[in-house]
Amino acid sequence: MRRRAGVGAIQKHRLEQEKYREKGSEIQENQFQQMSKQLEVFRENLEEFATKHKNEIKKNAQFRRQFQEMCAAIGVDPLASGKGFWSVLGIGDFYYELGVQIVEVCLATNYKNGGLITLDELRTRLIAARGKAKKHQDITNEDLLAAVKKLRIFGNGFTVVPIGKGKWLVQSVPGELNLDQTLVLQKASALGTAWVSTSILIDDLSWNETRAQNALDHMVKEGLAWIDTQDTKETLYWFPSMFAECVSAS
Amino acid sequence: MAEISWPWQYNFPPFFTIQPHSETRAKQLEAWQQLIAEYMKASKKSTIDIRESQNSPLFHNASINRKLSSEALLTILEDMAKTGRAAPIDKSKNIWEVYWHSLDEWGNMIYSWASNNGLNNSVCTLFELQEGDNTVGEEFHGLDMNILVKALKTLEVKGKCELMEFDDSQGVKFF
Repeated sequence: MRRRAGVGAIQKHRLEQEKYREKGSEIQENQFQQMSKQLEVFRENLEEFATKHKNEIKKNAQFRRQFQEMCAAIGVDPLASGKGFWSVLGIGDFYYELGVQIVEVCLATNYKNGGLITLDELRTRLIAARGKAKKHQDITNEDLLAAVKKLRIFGNGFTVVPIGKGKWLVQSVPGELNLDQTLVLQKASALGTAWVSTSILIDDLSWNETRAQNALDHMVKEGLAWIDTQDTKETLYWFPSMFAECVSAS
Repeated sequence: MAEISWPWQYNFPPFFTIQPHSETRAKQLEAWQQLIAEYMKASKKSTIDIRESQNSPLFHNASINRKLSSEALLTILEDMAKTGRAAPIDKSKNIWEVYWHSLDEWGNMIYSWASNNGLNNSVCTLFELQEGDNTVGEEFHGLDMNILVKALKTLEVKGKCELMEFDDSQGVKFF
């Protein structure tokens, strides 16, 4: 016959449990403190590093990219806040300045491209508008992408649309492109023709006619595409943002 | 043939199809109007006959095989008429005058030329204005006679000149 546990045993067990818990939280506390200390040291080092290389970061695109990558790897965003120690560095300022210039270029070219511009054209125009000094010229596509991402705080007015093969479009009109429209842009970019048609979308993307027509109609309505009814076979939809002569026009 | 530097739109095939989206169309019409005005200015012409328009390289870009249809051209010209940059001169709206300067601007240009040359209170013939040695180098030199008369009439309304008929020609007196 099995004896049931006595009161003494239960109390003893509970006491043990409590002690374990105490010890546990003590260890946790210790670890936490250690971690904080480590993090503090790390932050200090990173700050020191950034301060020391502030000018280098501003001037040298290669260095800037690596610094960004390092920050991204450890989950720090030097652009996230104007407050705190990062503001001392002025790294954010560099990107804010770029951001303003990006907005200017987008507005200035809106009349011809309807608010869609390739990252390459954006970069060429932006560099032309900046000073002639080397540090003004040395702007990489990564810099631009980082700056455009910061512009999101203004709502969905500025978005980056990847169109494949390391190419991007920057959209500077409100209204989000849906997946189908993005695929249309990718197709036009991949073909290198600056135009697509329903039959191309049907053949290459295996869409049905309604889906293809809807996507194209929508892009015409957004002012992103122009229609051309004079082709012998079918209606063509052109994107001025990808039309070479439009891109190079002043 | 007039030599002008064609804008990028001229080689952009959909430029020759009137766009359905209103904002895009507004940009398109504006670009056409600038192009037409520039072309007419360079070729020193003032009238467009819609029926013959497609013989002109302006409305037919053979290299991309695109033409501007008569209806499309009419749309553009009617839009120009709204801002006083063109006017039909026949009832069926086939023949249009294009003003790369508004009639007002032409009038003012002629008046300031007259004032600068001390011609106030004197009379000159319209032929002198149009083809005379004194106006060589002025933008209105060689301007279409009909437009010249219309421009002077805008001045007349303002009391800055008076048109007069001679036996076989017209003249104008500036005040």
